[in-house]
Amino acid sequence: MTKEELTNYISSTYGSQLKPLDTGRHDPLFEIEPKDLVSVCRALCDDEKVKFNFLCNISAVDTKEKFEVVYNLASLPNKLRLDLKFSMPYENAEIDSVQEVWSGANWHEREIWELYGINIRNHDNLTRFLLPDDWDQGFPMRKDWDAPDFIRMPEK
Amino acid sequence: MGDNLGNLELAHVFYWLRDLLLATGLTEPWVTIVTYTALGAMMFGVLALLALFLVWWERKIGGHIQQRFGPMRTGWHGWYQTVMDALKLLQKEDVVVDKRDKFVFFWAPVVCFVAAFLAYVVMPFGNRLIVADLNIGILYIMAVTTFTVISLLMAGWGSNNKYALLGGLRSAAQVVSYEVPMVASILTVIVYAGSLSMVDIVEAQSGLFINWNIFRLPFGPIAFIVYIIAATAEANRTPFDIPEAEQELVAGFNIEYSGMKFAMFFLAEFVNMFTVSAIAVTLFFGGWNGVFLPSWLWFLLKTLGVVLLLMLFRWTYPRLRVDQLMEFAWKFLVPLAFANLILGSIMKYLGWYW
Amino acid sequence: MGKLKTEEFVVNMGPVHPATHGVCRLMLTMDGEKVVKIEPVIGYLHRAIEKICENRTYPQCIPLMDRFEYVTSMSTNQVFAQAAERLAGIEVPERAEYLRVIMLELNRIASHLIFYGVTAMDLGALTPFLYGLREREYIVDLFEMTCGQRLTYNYIRVGGVSRDIPPQFVPKCREALKIIGDKLRDYEGLLNENPIWLRRTRGIGHLPADLAISYGVSGPVLRASGVDYDIRRDDPYSIYDRFDWEVPVRHNGDCYDRYLLRLDEIKQSIKIIEQALDGLPEGDIKAKVSPNFKPPAGEVYSRVENSRGEMGVYIQSDGTNKPLRVKCRGGSYNQLQALPHFGTDVLVADLVAIFATLDIILPEVDR
Repeated sequence: MTKEELTNYISSTYGSQLKPLDTGRHDPLFEIEPKDLVSVCRALCDDEKVKFNFLCNISAVDTKEKFEVVYNLASLPNKLRLDLKFSMPYENAEIDSVQEVWSGANWHEREIWELYGINIRNHDNLTRFLLPDDWDQGFPMRKDWDAPDFIRMPEK
Repeated sequence: MGDNLGNLELAHVFYWLRDLLLATGLTEPWVTIVTYTALGAMMFGVLALLALFLVWWERKIGGHIQQRFGPMRTGWHGWYQTVMDALKLLQKEDVVVDKRDKFVFFWAPVVCFVAAFLAYVVMPFGNRLIVADLNIGILYIMAVTTFTVISLLMAGWGSNNKYALLGGLRSAAQVVSYEVPMVASILTVIVYAGSLSMVDIVEAQSGLFINWNIFRLPFGPIAFIVYIIAATAEANRTPFDIPEAEQELVAGFNIEYSGMKFAMFFLAEFVNMFTVSAIAVTLFFGGWNGVFLPSWLWFLLKTLGVVLLLMLFRWTYPRLRVDQLMEFAWKFLVPLAFANLILGSIMKYLGWYW
Repeated sequence: MGKLKTEEFVVNMGPVHPATHGVCRLMLTMDGEKVVKIEPVIGYLHRAIEKICENRTYPQCIPLMDRFEYVTSMSTNQVFAQAAERLAGIEVPERAEYLRVIMLELNRIASHLIFYGVTAMDLGALTPFLYGLREREYIVDLFEMTCGQRLTYNYIRVGGVSRDIPPQFVPKCREALKIIGDKLRDYEGLLNENPIWLRRTRGIGHLPADLAISYGVSGPVLRASGVDYDIRRDDPYSIYDRFDWEVPVRHNGDCYDRYLLRLDEIKQSIKIIEQALDGLPEGDIKAKVSPNFKPPAGEVYSRVENSRGEMGVYIQSDGTNKPLRVKCRGGSYNQLQALPHFGTDVLVADLVAIFATLDIILPEVDR
C-alpha cells in the first residue's frame, strides 16, 4: 500500500473522525478530535487492512497559541506509517490515555504530563519521571516557562 | 631419620639452626621452641613473598591475555606493584561499621589469614623439606582448609549488613559443597598410595614422570579434573567467584572491610590458591620428583603451572550463577567423584593397576 | 511445623553500579533471591536536549543530537539531518549518501562490539571486553581520520556530510573489515558454545513478540523475538534499498538469541559496507544549503534503524531558522519501559544478564 492509497483508505474508512492535514512532510497526517482518540486508535490497531500495532512516538508541541499532541504510528506487518494529531487550548488541557491500545504509551504520556502539564486521564502511574522528585518550578517545555537560570540565546 | 623428637622429617635448615643455638648455649626445651618458631617465621616469610609474587603474576597474566601489559610503572614490568599496594592499604583509614559485632568483625580476617597458612605445616616443599611429616598429613590438610568457612561466616555476620551476610552464607555454602567432591578425589589417590602421609604419597610417584599419579592411576585424569574444579570453587575463583564479583548485586562478605583487614582477606585468597595448587601437585603430579633441578625448584615450577591454569580459568570463562554452581556440585561432581572412587578402589583391590 | 513467614524487601540497584550501563536506578522488590518487581527510576542524565534545541538553529542542533546517544552518534546525526531534509525537500548528492551509509554501518559495528564486550564482562568473562574494544579501535581510527572525532562525530549535516574521506580511508576500511570479520570467528568460538555462557543466557529473559510490539520495542531485541522488521528494509531511507543484505531474525527471544543476533548484524553490516565501498561514486558531498537554513512550516517524523532499535525525531518547523519542537525517541526508552513486564521472576544474576543483552544506553532514555 503506498502513501496515497493509505491516505485514501483512511479518509474513506474513518472520514468522520479523521481529517487529512497537509503539514506532514513525509507521511500521511490526520487530525482527530480528542474525544475520539481512544476509539480511533483501537480501531486502527485492530483494522485488518492497516493494523497499526506499533506506537513509535507521542509528542506534545507548544505552538505559542495552543497545545498539539502528535501520535506517530507504524504498522509492522504491513510496513506503513501514519501520524495523528490534535490540538487543544492551554486551559484544562486533558487527554485520554491510549495505554490500553499500546502499552508503550505509558511512559510517553507520563513525560507529557510532567513536562507540559497536560493531564492524562486513566493513566496508572503519573509520577515524577525525568525531573527531580522535588521539582516545583512549573512545566519546563512550555514556551512561556521561565526560571532564574534559564538563559535564552540572543536572537540572530 | 628421626631423633628424640619422634618420627619427624626435618629440614637441613632445622639441623643447622639447632646446632647454632646449641653452640650459643641454650638448653633443650628452649632450643626446640626457638627453632620451631624460627622455622615457622621463615615459612611464613616465604609464603608471604610468594603471595605477593602471585598477585603481581596474576595481574601480568591477566593483562597479557587481554592484550595489555598489566603493571609497568613500579619497577621493571611492575615487579614491586604489590608492595606498593600493600603499603597503600596499610595507610588507609580503617573504616568500620558502627553497629558491628566487634569481636567477630575483628577476628574474621585474622582467622582467614591464619587458616590459609596452617596447611603448609605438612606441605612437602622438596626432598626432606617439610616442617612436620604427620602420618595423617592429607587428612590434616582437608580438615584445616575448611577453617576458611568459619572466617567467611564471621565476616558476613560481624558486618551487620544483610548483603554481607547473604554473601557470606553463599560463600560458605559454596565452599562446603565443593569440599565433598574434592575429598572424594583425594581419597582416590590415597587408596592407591596406601598412606595418608604427604611424603609417602610423593615417594610413591618417584621415578619417571609416567609414575605421576595422574598417569599411573587408572582414573587419574578424572580424579584430577574433579579435584581442580572443586579446588577452583574452594578458592572462590572464577567461574565460581560469585561471592566476590562486583557485577552482582551484593558485593559479598568483605564489603565492610577496608585497609589492612581487606588486605588480609585478599592475600589469604592468593595463599589459598597456592595451597590447592600445591596439593594438586603433591597428589597428582609427583610432588618434588624430577631430574636435574633441585627438588624444591621442581615443586615450585609445578605448583606455578597449576596456578597458571587457575588464572587462565579466571580470565577466560564467564561466571556461574549461584544456584547453577550448587547444582553442578551436587548433581554432577559428587556422583562423578564417588563413582571414580568406587571404581578405583575396586580396581586396586583386584590388582588391575601398575 | 508452622508456616515460615517471609517478607519481601526492596533493594536499590543504584544509579552507580557496575552492571547498569549508565546511571539507571532500578528499585527491585525481592523475595529472597528472586526479583518480584522492578521499577526503573530515570532522569539522572536529563539534560533538556529538546528544550535547548528549540533555541538553536538547525545546524547547531546536530552536535547537540550527538550527545543524545553518543555511542552511535552517526545515527543521531542522520535522523536529524534526514528530518530537516524532508522538511525542506533537499536532495542529498550520491556520494554523500554512500558516505552516510558507510559511516552508519561502521558505527553499528562499533556499537555491537561494545555490546559484546560489556555483556561478557557483566557475566564474568572479563577478557572479551578488551577484545571488543581492540577491534573497535580500527573503526574509531577511521572516524578520526574522516571527521577528527572518536565519539561524537557531528559529521552528517543537513544536505550531506561535512568532509570528504581522505584517500587512505578506503584501503584502511577494507583492511579493518577483514580483521573484524576474522576476529568475529574467534569471539564466537570463545563464548557461543561455552556451557557456562549457555547456562547463563539460554532460556533467560524471554520476551514474547506481542509484548515487545505493544511496548514499542524495536531493533535487535524485537528481531530476536521473532518479528521480522527492520526500518532499513521496510521504511527505507538513504540508499539502503540498493544493497544486497539480509535481516537476521531469531525466534526464541531469550538473552542468547539477542546476543547471537547482534553478532549476525555485524556480519551483515560488513557486507553492506563492502558493497558501498565498491560502488562509491565521485561528486559533491553536500547539497547547497543556505547558511541560514529555514525550512518551510511543516512537521515530519523521521526514523532510522539504530543499533538499539528505532531512533526517531519529530520536528515541527514554523518557518524560522529554529525548530519549534524537536522530540527525540530512542530505542532504549521502550526497552526499559518493557523491562518490568518480562524481567521479573528471575534471580538477580539473571537480571544482570537481561539488562546487559537489552543493550540500554541511558542518554537515549533521559535525553
